[in-house]
Amino acid sequence: MKWQRYFLAFGITAAIFTTAFYIASKIDSERIANIRATEDSISIDILSSETQFELLGNLDCNTIAQNPVLSDQLNSLASQLSVAESNLGDSNGEVIQLKEQYSLLEIKDYILLQNIAEKCHVKPVYVLYFYTNNGTCTNCSNVGDVLTYLRGEYPGLRVYSFDYDLDLSALKTLISLHNIQDTLPAVIVNNRVPVYGPQTLQSMQALIPELSTLSTSTSATSTSGY
Amino acid sequence: MDFGALGVYICLFIALYFEVFLLISYLEKKPSEKTDDLPNYYPTASILVPCFNEEKTLEHTVRSLLELHYPKEKLDIFIIDDGSKDGTRAIGERLAEEHRQVRFLHKENGGKYTAMNFGIERTGAELIGCLDADSFVAPDAMLEVVKRFEADPATMAITPAMKVYHPRKVLELMQAVEYTFGIFYKKMFDNLAALNVLPGPFSIYKREVFETIGPFKHAHNTEDMEIAFRMHAHGLKIANAHNAFVYTTVPKTPWALIKQRTRWSQGFLQNSQDYSYMYFNRRFGNFGMLVLPFALLAFLGGIYTALYTLYRTGVYAWNKISEISATHIPPHIPTEHLSWFYINTNMMLFVIIAVLCGTATAIILGQRIAKTNLGVKALIAYFALFGFIAPLWLMRAAWGTVRARESKWR
Repeated sequence: MKWQRYFLAFGITAAIFTTAFYIASKIDSERIANIRATEDSISIDILSSETQFELLGNLDCNTIAQNPVLSDQLNSLASQLSVAESNLGDSNGEVIQLKEQYSLLEIKDYILLQNIAEKCHVKPVYVLYFYTNNGTCTNCSNVGDVLTYLRGEYPGLRVYSFDYDLDLSALKTLISLHNIQDTLPAVIVNNRVPVYGPQTLQSMQALIPELSTLSTSTSATSTSGY
Repeated sequence: MDFGALGVYICLFIALYFEVFLLISYLEKKPSEKTDDLPNYYPTASILVPCFNEEKTLEHTVRSLLELHYPKEKLDIFIIDDGSKDGTRAIGERLAEEHRQVRFLHKENGGKYTAMNFGIERTGAELIGCLDADSFVAPDAMLEVVKRFEADPATMAITPAMKVYHPRKVLELMQAVEYTFGIFYKKMFDNLAALNVLPGPFSIYKREVFETIGPFKHAHNTEDMEIAFRMHAHGLKIANAHNAFVYTTVPKTPWALIKQRTRWSQGFLQNSQDYSYMYFNRRFGNFGMLVLPFALLAFLGGIYTALYTLYRTGVYAWNKISEISATHIPPHIPTEHLSWFYINTNMMLFVIIAVLCGTATAIILGQRIAKTNLGVKALIAYFALFGFIAPLWLMRAAWGTVRARESKWR
């Protein structure tokens, strides 16, 4: 018997496994870089709008109408983050950092949306959605799916989703501002009172009667929980 | 940590290790090319054709033996009718009348191994072979076997390279690929002196084998496997003549295939129990250290992976149904999931690709050895079907072994 053959086969097999691990890690890193680039791009968009707002003291509402400030990139970013979270785990440091940055961008986008609504006399339709991944919220995934579906059906609907447990001061301020309890999931439609618990597609549509003012699309854009 | 997935990784590691081991063995000793050389000596040979209700294929089988390029006076053909109920006897008797080489024997039904032993007792030939009555030999198969015996006088039995006879249906094409894969790994087992079965279609033994270790046994309806185990136990060498081609008919329906493979798989498990002392025993070389343990692990790994996949698919389906009933969202296809970003590229995907590449390489090398071209349709049939059908006979065999229930030969 040639024992070298046994050891050589083991070495080659281990090398193939290591290569598979390396390729998978490399692709995950690419994904993270992709998300980070998207976040940076959104960050610049929002900063540009804020700067324009401060420079002019007002916004050119026609320009806004032609080039909406509310970037659609936030939508795809949400589902990309969802993929990264499921691949790398929700306790991964990079994922948490990206989620924090994403949440900050959402809050800034939300504030900008309010300003635009006030200055340009538009009536945006938006939902603040609070969820948790700590295993106690059995309905969070379903509510997330309903909102994702609606966002696909109504491209004008803004959904801002927040991980309730994220250690981010701005988010904590938002939570206390709206007095959100930890009996999640919770949704706030157009700054009305929070609504807790599971939602079907129909009950969610009933919570957002303003949907009738939005145009519909036949293509959905995301199914993530964000 | 997902312990279920960890189990699949272990199975994949074992599968990949085995493939790598065989590929190393191939690189160390590549199969020789076929030559026109003739043997220096033509030993006397008897080919036993045990049959039970084989009226459809018996004549074709015997005619393929009659066309063997081998001195007629050196080759006998024994048709052994194991109590057939159909027209097998009439065909056998007619063939015996028409051809001096052919002898017809009839006995009460007792199973294939009794028919084989019945023939062995009645021949004095130096080489004794078996050919199932649903298989057909290539004209030069006997010459290749004898040349292989001559190349290594220590060899006591030889297996041929088996191909599927005229595969047409999808299930036959799938088996054609499997048999081609088998041609590769049998040759590699030959390199390792670790062949684990002497299949019914045209395995040839030196007479001394039976004189040394006795006749065939019932062996849980897998006498061809048990005798290989017994030969290893007695240190008798088995080799593979990769240029001796034999064509066999294969099951045409899923149920017939599952029944046949259940018998083989259950036979392996039960013979493994009988010869458990050979496992991880260095005295039996690569047979005890590699082939037996890996065959058992492949068996268990196949069942585990199938059950795990079934479980995960069930959980996914259940979650989807629960989600739809809880949310009332109509079925829809998320368009952005077509982007590269959403393709699942975890480590398991790349390991599975590596294992499939190893399998594909073995099939390609098997094709080269067998000098055959399977075609795309056969490859698609194999990769699409085998993983779904094989677990069925593995689980059935495991269940049969647990209940110690004998599988049926017919």
